[in-house]
Amino acid sequence: MTRVVGKGIPYIDARKKATGQAMFADDYKFPNMLYVKFLRSPHPHARIVSIDTSRAEAHPGVRAVAIGRDLPLGFGVLPVSPDETAMAVEKVRYAGEIVAAVAGETEEAALEGVRLVEVRYEPIRAFLEPEDSLTECAPEEQIHEHCKNGTNIHKIASLRFNDPEAALEEAPHVRTLKFRFAGVTHAFTEPMATVATWNEDDGLVVISATQVPHYLHRTLSKILGLPLHRIRVIKPALGGGFGGKSDPFPHELITAHLAMKTGRPVKCRFSREEVFLNNHGRHPTDMTISVGCDDDGKIQALNADIVIDGGAFGSFGVVTTYYNGVLLQGPYRIDRFGFRTRRVYTNKPQCGAMRGHGAVNPRYAMEVTLDVLAHDLRIDPCDLRLGNFLPSNTLTVGQLRITSNGVKDCLLAVRERSDWDRRYGKLPFGRGLGVACGFYISGSALPIIWNRYPQTVVHLKLDFDGGVVVYSGASDIGQGSDTVLAQVVAETLGLPLERVHVKAADTRHTPVDLGSYSSRVTFMVGNAALKAAEKMKAEISRAVAREKKVPEDTIMFTNGRVVSEDGGLDLSWDDGVEIALAGRGALATSGWYISPKLGGDFKGAGAGLSPSYSFGAFISEVEVNPATGHVRVVKVWGAHDCGRALNPKAVEGQIEGCIHMGLGQALSEEMRYNAGHLLNSNFTDYRIPTALDTPEMDITIVESNDPEGPFGAKEAGEGPIHPVLPSIGNAVFDAVGVRMYELPITPDKVLAALKARKNAEQEQVS
Amino acid sequence: MKNDSPREEIAERSYVVVTTVEEAVARARELRGDYQYVAGGTDLEVHRRQELVAEHHVIDLTAIKELHAISIDGEELSIGALVTLDEIISDVVVRERVPLLATAARSVATPVIRKSATVGGNLLVKNRCTFYDQSGSWRSSIGSCLRDNGDICQVVGTDAGCYSRNVSDMAAAFIALGATIVVRDQKGEKRYDLTALYSGDGIRNHNLLENDGIILRVQVPIKPVASWYRKLRLRESLDFTSCTVAAAVDERNYIRVCINGVSMAPVLIEGDLAELSLEELHRRARRSCQTVDNDLLPLKYRREMIHIYLEEWWGSIHVDA
Repeated sequence: MTRVVGKGIPYIDARKKATGQAMFADDYKFPNMLYVKFLRSPHPHARIVSIDTSRAEAHPGVRAVAIGRDLPLGFGVLPVSPDETAMAVEKVRYAGEIVAAVAGETEEAALEGVRLVEVRYEPIRAFLEPEDSLTECAPEEQIHEHCKNGTNIHKIASLRFNDPEAALEEAPHVRTLKFRFAGVTHAFTEPMATVATWNEDDGLVVISATQVPHYLHRTLSKILGLPLHRIRVIKPALGGGFGGKSDPFPHELITAHLAMKTGRPVKCRFSREEVFLNNHGRHPTDMTISVGCDDDGKIQALNADIVIDGGAFGSFGVVTTYYNGVLLQGPYRIDRFGFRTRRVYTNKPQCGAMRGHGAVNPRYAMEVTLDVLAHDLRIDPCDLRLGNFLPSNTLTVGQLRITSNGVKDCLLAVRERSDWDRRYGKLPFGRGLGVACGFYISGSALPIIWNRYPQTVVHLKLDFDGGVVVYSGASDIGQGSDTVLAQVVAETLGLPLERVHVKAADTRHTPVDLGSYSSRVTFMVGNAALKAAEKMKAEISRAVAREKKVPEDTIMFTNGRVVSEDGGLDLSWDDGVEIALAGRGALATSGWYISPKLGGDFKGAGAGLSPSYSFGAFISEVEVNPATGHVRVVKVWGAHDCGRALNPKAVEGQIEGCIHMGLGQALSEEMRYNAGHLLNSNFTDYRIPTALDTPEMDITIVESNDPEGPFGAKEAGEGPIHPVLPSIGNAVFDAVGVRMYELPITPDKVLAALKARKNAEQEQVS
Repeated sequence: MKNDSPREEIAERSYVVVTTVEEAVARARELRGDYQYVAGGTDLEVHRRQELVAEHHVIDLTAIKELHAISIDGEELSIGALVTLDEIISDVVVRERVPLLATAARSVATPVIRKSATVGGNLLVKNRCTFYDQSGSWRSSIGSCLRDNGDICQVVGTDAGCYSRNVSDMAAAFIALGATIVVRDQKGEKRYDLTALYSGDGIRNHNLLENDGIILRVQVPIKPVASWYRKLRLRESLDFTSCTVAAAVDERNYIRVCINGVSMAPVLIEGDLAELSLEELHRRARRSCQTVDNDLLPLKYRREMIHIYLEEWWGSIHVDA
């Protein structure tokens, strides 16, 4: 039997992308198209005294100018923090915020127009360090006036179960450690681009590089005052997102506004510098974590206090605030558990969701702390972890429901493959191994905007040509979700992949999907597609059974044929289709996904809830040059439990991508500012690891077959990043005996730590 | 050079491909300074996008065949200024006779960039600074700097001078090998010690080229030397140097150590091995390197690394001895 699930196959759009036929947002061109460019704030925090657009408007190549008061309504991807406007109104909150937009006949004319807009500013005290934002300031200095108690604190999230403080006092071994993490950004390949058209017949059509066409659809409606049915959002081919395209953005709203204002198509495309300024990347984080355990290394309690630097606006920040704490509840059993996270506003580009959202930094802190405790107790770090794993089918202390759980298999796999037992702690000075584990949500169980609709709907259409069209709002951002949908449908109907076509992410033609975030698409949209395909199978079976007089429940779909168990029926797919469509024409079915009711009934219980969780364990081997402090990651062994690999080639790709991205945050990537001005908004100075920096990778896919996942699948795109970073940090310790509490682990920090240790040793001797 | 904002001027622009040095120099004379020579363009193109190129005209030198050659000229290796870094790496004579050059070339940029980037272009790469190598809007948002349109150096906060860093890795290697360059300008052809090319001025980085000068070739003595090379950077590829040390010791035990990436011009320390000590090397490096906080690696670490590299190299020659 030909199967398409479980086989490593190229993505269904790979040829189009490789040959340049795929249409990305910037590839769309329309007659009479205008181009929009933005004037951005030169100040991190300032009152706008006046804006004069008259000179810009008089420029012969300029067709329209827009400023903040043209689109004054607040928005944000989370309804709880609509703190952003399309352009600055009354004041600017970061250097780089859009103040005005100019649509011109050419990009050059638009840029010329931007230069002619005159703005007078009155600088306000800028808050650049998160600790400054924690304290009370003068009302006129507040970044947002809605912050309570005169501070710049955006959100405080705190949960506490079973008095963790008392447990830490009782625990025989406790480590309290402080960590600091620099902000990092997604660094996807394709800069943002949006094209908008407007006419009375079609309404507003927005083609945009987005991970969330549905939320963009809603936000356009709100900000532009257009009914939802007058708006169509199309997500074209996308060159990566990693969470960096998962908010509705000002440039999308402005481009649409200018298309409506001018009645002409308008295109916006970002420079790389603008992509960096748009940010929405991982929050810079300061974290203190206390973990206690007994003499055998059994974890007794965890308590964490976290401050995350949100930048100027909310974005996904409220979720991030919770995720920093709640996603420490696994993969270990911790019954006495607490955290407090405070997210502050600062006058820098805003932070938001990025691959592994909210859990990457705390995971580093937790896994390094466990390593320290293992070292204290002289327990092998793998053994200490094995003794603490959550089992399958359990609830965490905060009532996250764990179903399938392959973490133990993951750890055993990398332990064996890296020859850990023979080599850990025994490699020559300068060479070391480190281990870490992790877990992550496989789709957020709760939608961002509460409503009574399913989280996703998939429609299938079968017509006389024998092809099945999958209609889904899901956004393929390069992660291969279109391929997953085609695979699920083809597998269910026993068809070769070429019979299945995917029409996705066009809000006028495809049913709603909430978007590509929180690693939800394979699980949720996969399930909806499965349900729709099963219904289609049932309809065809019913028609064939009636006509061929065979029992319906004996009919099978396999190898592109419709057959009965006993071989008495053997129809080609096309013959089966003709029978099913006779007298009625095209067949349509629908499937959807709604998360089961999960979680407790306390405040904050919804955070981190997912119908399923992925698990993983990684081991890294590093080489540290003790003279220069330079760290080279030699090899990474990664094992990830994705439930079932629908497409092992894609899963491997995601794990490798996580290793590469984790390596960057661990060793070299960092958003650097000078007085609120981003210093490294280019790929020369924002240092993504190059091919030469990328280690050898040994990937193991663990299949725990999730009972609720489509064909047993759960996520693989984000979970594998979490263990990467701490496995590197822990390996540095094994190599040269110093702990790295600050990311990125740049050579200057390693050298300073080595010196400090040497000095301490000398003092001890003397 | 102090830039007038290019957008304020409305002038004709041109891009001319020349096939001889004479033609290039003649064209340059016509343009009276309002031009840039271009070879690989890997530095110029970035600067153009950052609005750091005020000149309106480009003279493309890549079709001048005579500047593409590598040849042995008596006791010297002659390398045309348009030889690409990739060609340096793969040239058998270079690899066998002056391997330091191949090592240095391999440390520059990326394989793709090295296919365009030339030896001459690398020797003339513009000095870099965190506060200068930025977009026009970024620079104006911080109030610009001495090298641009501003009144002070944003790094040190005074108007005393510009401390932008010379980042030519090839310069470090060539200078360690005692290379000379041949320059053709309006007055004719002349040979100079390569060190004379570098002005030590953060704003006007290069000497010798004021009269429409073009570097024709680099001449490197072919003699047995023990060479050593290190480049400080965060990644194994792409990064500009944070500190490059190239060193050579010849058969007479005469040493030439060139430190680059940490000061406005490459710093050469030379002398007889017998008369030098590690302490003396450190002392001279400290005296000559005007290192300021204008790179993304911390100043303290970069200063430290100059000494660590010198120490490592010093150790290596004494082990060999």
